[in-house]
Amino acid sequence: MPGDDRPPARWLAAIALVAVYGWWAVGLTPFSWEATVAIVGAGLAAVGWAVWRRDRADTRTRSVAGVTLGSARARRSGLVPWVLLAAAAAVWQLAAYVQHPRDDHPTLSSLANAALESHAARTAAFVVWLVTTVALVRR
Amino acid sequence: MIRLVTLAGYAVIVAAAIGLEIAARRRGGASFGDALAVVLRPWPARLVVVAAWLWLGWHLFVRVDSG
Repeated sequence: MPGDDRPPARWLAAIALVAVYGWWAVGLTPFSWEATVAIVGAGLAAVGWAVWRRDRADTRTRSVAGVTLGSARARRSGLVPWVLLAAAAAVWQLAAYVQHPRDDHPTLSSLANAALESHAARTAAFVVWLVTTVALVRR
Repeated sequence: MIRLVTLAGYAVIVAAAIGLEIAARRRGGASFGDALAVVLRPWPARLVVVAAWLWLGWHLFVRVDSG
C-alpha cells in the first residue's frame, strides 16, 4: 500500500489473499445479500483497516507527506483544469445516460460491464478497487 | 457512428487527463493527486468520496450479472 514500509513479500501475499477472496466474491449471485455483504463488507473492512493504520501513523509525517505538501503545490489556478475536466466528464456521461439506445450511447457503466465480463477481469478490478479504497482513506 | 462519437468523447477526456498530469509533473503544477488531496481535506468531503467509492464497488461487482 502507498506510504507503507512493510516488506513487499507481505504485501504480495496480502494481495494474493484479496484476489482469492475477490475471485469468490465477484462470482456470487448478482443482487443477492451474500454478494452485497461480501463486496461492501470487504470495502468497509478496508476502510476500517485503513483508518486504523492511519491513526497509528505519525501525524506529523502524514501531514507533511500527504496533505500539507500536496495542497501547497495545488494552487487554486492549477486546480481549474481538473475541475473543468471533471465537469466535462460528468456532462458527457450524463448526456450518454439520458440517450438511447445504450449501444449508441454507452455510459461508463456499460463500458465497464463489457470490460469486466470475464471472471478474471472482475477479480482484478475488485483487487484494484479495494487497494484504491485503502489509498483514498489513508491519503 | 453515434457510438464512435460517444467513445471519442471519453477518449478525449482520458487523453486530456493524461496530458494534464504530464504537464503538472513537468511544470510543477497541480497533479491529479494534488487535486484529490484538496478535495479530500475536509472530512465530510472525504466521507462522501469514500461512500461514493463503496457504491461504485457495489455497482460494478454486485449489481451486474457475471454470468
